[in-house]
Amino acid sequence: MPALSCHKALKELKGKTDLTIALAGNPNVGKSCVFNQLTGLSVVTANYPGKTVELNMGVTLHNGTRIGIIDLPGTYALSAVSDDQLVARRGVLEGRPDIVVVVVDASNLQRNLYMVLQFLELGFPVVVGLNLVDYAAKIGLKINHEKLSELLGTPVVPTVAVRGQGIDELIHAVVDLAQGKSKMKEPKITYGRDVEGAIQTLGEAIQERLDETPYNLPARALAIQLLENDVEFVDMFKGRQSKRRRRRQRRRLGQGQDREEFLKLSARLARQIEEKHGEPVGIRIARERHGLAGTIADAVQTKFDQPILLSQKLKHYTVAPYTGIPLMVAVMLGIFAFIFYVGGWLSAFVDTLWVSFISSNMGELVHFAVKNEILANVILWGVDKGILAWLSVGVPYILTFYIVLSFLEDSGYLNSMAFLMDNVMHKLGLHGRSIIPILTGAGCNVPAIMGTRVLTTKRKRILASTLVVLVPCSARTAVILGAVASFVGWTYALLIYVIELMIIGMVGWGLHRLLPGESSGLVMEMFPFRFPSASVILKKTWFRFRDFAYVAFPVVTVGSLALGALYETGYLSAIAEPLSPIVYGVLGLPAVAGICLILGILRKELTLELLVALAIVGGYGSGAQNLLAFMTPIQIFIFALVVTIYIPCVATVAVLGKELGWRNAFLIMVFTIVLAIAVGGIAYRVVPYLGLSG
Amino acid sequence: MKSEELSISKESEEYLEAIYRLEEKSGSARTMELARQLKVTPGSVTNTIESLEKRGLVIHEPYKGVKLTKNGRKLALNVLRRHRLAERLLTDVLHLDWSQAHDAACELEHAIAKEVDEPLEKALGHPKTCPHGNPIPSESGKLVEEKAELLTKLAPGEDGTIAKITEEKRDMLQYLATLGLVPGAFVKMEEKAPFNGPIIVKVMGASYALGRNVASIIWVRKS
Repeated sequence: MPALSCHKALKELKGKTDLTIALAGNPNVGKSCVFNQLTGLSVVTANYPGKTVELNMGVTLHNGTRIGIIDLPGTYALSAVSDDQLVARRGVLEGRPDIVVVVVDASNLQRNLYMVLQFLELGFPVVVGLNLVDYAAKIGLKINHEKLSELLGTPVVPTVAVRGQGIDELIHAVVDLAQGKSKMKEPKITYGRDVEGAIQTLGEAIQERLDETPYNLPARALAIQLLENDVEFVDMFKGRQSKRRRRRQRRRLGQGQDREEFLKLSARLARQIEEKHGEPVGIRIARERHGLAGTIADAVQTKFDQPILLSQKLKHYTVAPYTGIPLMVAVMLGIFAFIFYVGGWLSAFVDTLWVSFISSNMGELVHFAVKNEILANVILWGVDKGILAWLSVGVPYILTFYIVLSFLEDSGYLNSMAFLMDNVMHKLGLHGRSIIPILTGAGCNVPAIMGTRVLTTKRKRILASTLVVLVPCSARTAVILGAVASFVGWTYALLIYVIELMIIGMVGWGLHRLLPGESSGLVMEMFPFRFPSASVILKKTWFRFRDFAYVAFPVVTVGSLALGALYETGYLSAIAEPLSPIVYGVLGLPAVAGICLILGILRKELTLELLVALAIVGGYGSGAQNLLAFMTPIQIFIFALVVTIYIPCVATVAVLGKELGWRNAFLIMVFTIVLAIAVGGIAYRVVPYLGLSG
Repeated sequence: MKSEELSISKESEEYLEAIYRLEEKSGSARTMELARQLKVTPGSVTNTIESLEKRGLVIHEPYKGVKLTKNGRKLALNVLRRHRLAERLLTDVLHLDWSQAHDAACELEHAIAKEVDEPLEKALGHPKTCPHGNPIPSESGKLVEEKAELLTKLAPGEDGTIAKITEEKRDMLQYLATLGLVPGAFVKMEEKAPFNGPIIVKVMGASYALGRNVASIIWVRKS
């Protein structure tokens, strides 16, 4: 999907629907399940510039009412302290939905109500979806939802979203509230005396002196944000913003002096609370909000004894070191084998189908339509080899991987793995959650880089993606096995993996120290194991695959056309020629290898195929099938090593560009080229001492 | 010793006090943070720290920050004692608002001579804490500190209440607070990964994995 700006997408959504709702909730409470139940496949994904967290939007129809749904990222709160929270808050403040549906986990009401209270404070009409009531009952919790509704002053609808229970009722409650058929009661959210006093003082000042508040917030809501010293709102008052925004804000917030006054007043009030209670006011407010949520939770739930669930015991075994680590190794090997074999088999299958049914026919068709031999060949590079390259990576590896990843994610096991791996990954400036994408890289780099979305900061994603690119994917494994293991010996094939592992370790260690910013620690909820919903997994997989397709398809096709044109017209040798000092001088490879390396950008396994093909053309005859006829063992080794490290394939570059920006993609490309030449050059000079004949 | 105490300038006293507070909060005082707190330039912080180091009151470890020596700590506690007594005087006797007491006490503390602080303490009725609830160090420089240990010291299955969270980055504090990790909250250690790996704690009905660097800013009182 082309990156859509949230601003525009929200506007469009509001324009074509009668009613918009925002779907909010903590992570892993079944919010995406509710979203999936409500919407079909026509989901639009949009993001804010510079933010990796996305907003999904969809439309549903209920008794003739067209309802637009903004699916906010799952967060624990609505402050400006992390990207996901900031995006969730902006989505809801800019989107101005008519109703906010907060999906809460009935088995952990206190923490979940925290965000409900925040939405009520911001002045939004709220409908609470009390999800996972079945699980709550299993662990011995019964929630009186009518009483909860009374205390919050909002409709509360119990649901079991995985099975679709209560979803209709939920939407019904939303529509009723929006059309005024039911009313919200003014919720009584009051803080302790000191905090409340400060909120009122500041709120009154805002009411008196501001004509218009940012996002039309109620005075009380704005007062709380300023007291909490919220970065976004404070910056707004300081006028630290983009020019366009500033102009808009100046109209609203009055002159600079006035704004300074507000900040001074709020800082003074904050300091008073801070001194009296000995903690920052933001923390104080959070504490009191938790207290409030706890009181409400206690009032509406009854506990009764239930035996410990099997899933709870299992959870323990997955994180306890003696059982968890062997289990994790087994699961990792399982994933690797799955991606490798199932993906590999599917890839070969797609390849065979394409070659036997489409390639030949298309060849004839193109040659029939285009009389110019060279032009026809170039077109075939694009539409035949290009599309095949895209298909044989996309369908088998990415689809299968995403099914596995979604299952791990939604079941909760991913978090257990992340917990166990945190220590190792921490040394590379990452935390435990990055193990999955790096592991996946061994299947295919493309989904692995998309998988870095589980990481929360851009810095971590750049770090992890760079490491992923260095993990030999299945195509590179094919070259290593096909060239080195077959002609040089399997120990040398293994050596390439060892070198790769060392490079990954060193690059991670080095980048961690070079990249600005520091690695923040792991803070991750260990939610209970759940059996994921098949429809959610399939839909998730499909949306992710669609994202990949939008990026990779055009890039691979155009890339293939361009390289094909160079190849067919003979310009490729002209480009490869100036490279020969590097190819021959530094790496000690035959000049023909340079052409292979350039074409290998398309698909790494092409390098080996081309090496053989070009060698045959180059006069070695059919004897060139045996690489040893024209390359020494050292040359084969170096060739495979360089192929493994240098520029990731074009599909990977495309996804890097989409996920991290083209500048970063370009930097990673340059980095890998330099690294490949350096490592290859060193190996060329060192390997002979290992007893390999030159 | 006495002559040295007398030769301590008002400025040095301010520095020692600030270093003490920062050390309390996060283990050591970074020079940037000191400059911010004392509202001076980083350059002048470096100069003063150097002279304090020469007199054996502080140790400056590059990249780690400044720590008080035994002597420095004694002097700092003495300043703190006078500061907190001054605050008591201002609020209890002169009925100043407690929010104004801090700034005024910052000035007053340096004027309280050695001979005055004990009679002052007596006149105030031997208060244990300042108006903000922080303990007043005794004359000999002892501070009745709350006993707390690092969260990571708890064994799986043990529990306690959070005593303090020593972190300077507001975002992290606020993030932890939204999860319910605030002083006073009840936590239970569920799992500990070996080799200084992360831990899993239960707080407010939910379990969270915390990396060691996050866990080691949280102090608890074992129950």
